[in-house]
Amino acid sequence: MKTVRIIALREDRKRLLEHLQDNALVQIKKIEKSAKGFSRIDMTSQMQIFEKNVNLSQQALRILDDYAPEKKGLLASFSGRRGIDPDEIGVIASKSHEVMTICSRITDLQKQIVDNAAEQVRIKTSLTQIEPWQKLDIPLNTGDTKTTAVFIGTLPQSYTDIELAETIAKANSKLEFEFEIEHTENSMTCIVMFVPISQKQTADSILRNLGFARPMSPTSHTPKEKTRRLKEKSKMLAEDSAKIKEEIISYADKRDDIKVTQDYFKIRTDKYSVINSLDQSKHVFVLTGYIPEEDCVKLEELCHRVATCYVEFYDADEDAPVKLKNNAFARPAQNILTMYASPSHDDIDPTPILAFFFYFFFGMMFSDAGYGLLMAIAIGIIIKKFKPDEKMKENLKLFQYCGISTFLWGLVFGSFFGDAPATLYNYFSGASITMADIIPWPTIDPQKDALTVMAISIGFGLIHILVGMGCKFYVCLKKKDYGGAFFDTGLWMMLLVGIAVLAIGAFSSQIVLYVGAGIAIACAVGLVLTQGRNKKGFFGKMIGGLASLYDITGYISDLLSYSRLLALGLTTGVMAQVFNMLSSMFGKSVFGCICMIVIMVAGHAINIGLNALGSYVHTMRLQYVEMFGKFYEGGGKEFEPFSLNSKYIKIQEDK
Amino acid sequence: MEYGMMFAILGAALATILSGIGSARGVGNAAQAAMGVLAEDSSKFGKMLVLTLLPGTQGLYGFIVGFLILVNCGVLGGAVPTFGQGLAYFGASFAIGFGGMFSAFSQGKAAVSGIAISAKDDRNFSKAMVSITLVEIYALLSFIVSLLVVISVSSIDI
Repeated sequence: MKTVRIIALREDRKRLLEHLQDNALVQIKKIEKSAKGFSRIDMTSQMQIFEKNVNLSQQALRILDDYAPEKKGLLASFSGRRGIDPDEIGVIASKSHEVMTICSRITDLQKQIVDNAAEQVRIKTSLTQIEPWQKLDIPLNTGDTKTTAVFIGTLPQSYTDIELAETIAKANSKLEFEFEIEHTENSMTCIVMFVPISQKQTADSILRNLGFARPMSPTSHTPKEKTRRLKEKSKMLAEDSAKIKEEIISYADKRDDIKVTQDYFKIRTDKYSVINSLDQSKHVFVLTGYIPEEDCVKLEELCHRVATCYVEFYDADEDAPVKLKNNAFARPAQNILTMYASPSHDDIDPTPILAFFFYFFFGMMFSDAGYGLLMAIAIGIIIKKFKPDEKMKENLKLFQYCGISTFLWGLVFGSFFGDAPATLYNYFSGASITMADIIPWPTIDPQKDALTVMAISIGFGLIHILVGMGCKFYVCLKKKDYGGAFFDTGLWMMLLVGIAVLAIGAFSSQIVLYVGAGIAIACAVGLVLTQGRNKKGFFGKMIGGLASLYDITGYISDLLSYSRLLALGLTTGVMAQVFNMLSSMFGKSVFGCICMIVIMVAGHAINIGLNALGSYVHTMRLQYVEMFGKFYEGGGKEFEPFSLNSKYIKIQEDK
Repeated sequence: MEYGMMFAILGAALATILSGIGSARGVGNAAQAAMGVLAEDSSKFGKMLVLTLLPGTQGLYGFIVGFLILVNCGVLGGAVPTFGQGLAYFGASFAIGFGGMFSAFSQGKAAVSGIAISAKDDRNFSKAMVSITLVEIYALLSFIVSLLVVISVSSIDI
């Protein structure tokens, strides 16, 4: 990694930054304080406008998706960004204003729909309130005449004509009144009552005692008329909403334009945020950043091609980010590494080792030739057809390599969609053969030779751990920490090897056993003598050394952890076998055949889903816990170049 | 009445049921937590799915032990076991039954916490995932013990 400083004329600023962004070569360094004679230009207000546009277009897209969903294939999410010509950006920029007008139109229309819906709710409430008054042929707000007081309202109880007349008469026998009951419900009576104007006060108090209440929203129309009007209004609103919806849908063909414009504003926001952090004088600006060593020449050429400028390179400082460089075989695993942590400057890049063991262990756990083949081919087709972006492509590649490894392990374990070939043969011929009869080469059946497979698994585990410790050994040597290399790591490695030799000896010959035991004991003595070397005093050193031997439990549990290679491999195989068995249970008939196909397809799909996930997770754990735990520090920063952080388009510079 | 067969079948059932209970509860708890996260941000579905499914393996292990017992004890193949062999199958099912059940409970709890931290920050996802699988080793050990017994019972003379 190098530090680069570019000093260029301000008039070239836009062009130079655009090219840097398209090529994604440099990670811009944010400098806290400007040098003397330089200052910053505040672009925050422009950036806010751009961000507002991005948000607006996102909203518009969401609304469009609601009313006119985009037709997408199931696998469309794999497809990469569309490549466009650099010149096209100009076209997009000139059209951006128009597109943004459409976006705000769409959001306005959506707001109208929401308002209409709210109005509809209000109308519905009014309608239910007015419902009991349908029989009344005067407006609800009819007032008193010269001679007569009018009471229109509800009582909180149900009355018949006679009951109500009696109740009122009982309250005040002198009151003259006339009433009509419009509607009765469980606990409500709608009445209209007339009394002479002179007795209005009396009637009022009587009615109040009975809990009389005037209607909530009196109108000057008769209830029937009011209902008609409300219904008409509701219908109009519905029609209006439908029309608005149609208008929104008519914008569906602008979707691509909106997407592109959104990206355009995103790109500009990023660019302006860089301008924000540049040191600028009256005529020149200074840009500082990190660049991988191999790109230096490319950057220099680019800068001189597009701008009048001065470019210089330094050695990078401590905080410099790390860019991983790997070949095509290991690159897919980089993502797995960065998910854990980016390597710091002291670390070695363990990606190649990680990649190999990742593919290897995944294959051993998934271990089915059919599934592996399916995975590898399906991913190959997806990559070819959808042309995914770099990162997605690497992720897919990871599983493609895992698929190949799965295929190979499937051949070792003699499994092709479980025992599907044997099941099918038996189904149609009535014979009873097993996979071992079909496959010409010797296979290991994890169901029968579980112990063998377990021994193999732990053997691979030992190799895996030793490789991890080997890395630690190398890192220590690089740092000139010889004690750490030979005593802390080397002795333990030898001890583990000694124990392994001893275990082999236990099953083969006496001599090997003694050799193994000899190595192990020598190393143990070595550990006791050296592990307490940082402690004070003779007893401190002795106790420290002895206590360090207790670490053996950690190594044993690490090794046992690799038994999951057997367990998960077995799970895949047995599940596949179960589905095959189920599928052939329906007898030899047309119906039986159909059942067989359905169960086989569904069953194997489930099995692939469950066990691919399991294999992925557990492989990852073996790498992270068992291997990385031995040597990997992490804590570095990933190299994140100034680039097009876009969702839909990428700019292809003609090479 | 064949007591050997009876105990073998009881064992198959026990292995499947107990570990199934464990996984069902573990996955259930995790799924509830994941649903809460998805309500806020449905784009996290893939990651949530992975974390939710982690406590589900115990059920599979139990099922496999159950299945292998059935294959070996004369139900789906193999010879009818003696009384002693039947008890051995029964005993073998205890390991994955109880080991699987309780480890799935604990793994479910770990998964709920894992979902919580990866909801806060996507970068925590791999750490959460690895921490949750730490629980799994104990289910694995139980499974392997059960497995080794089941595949060797038919050759033991009891």
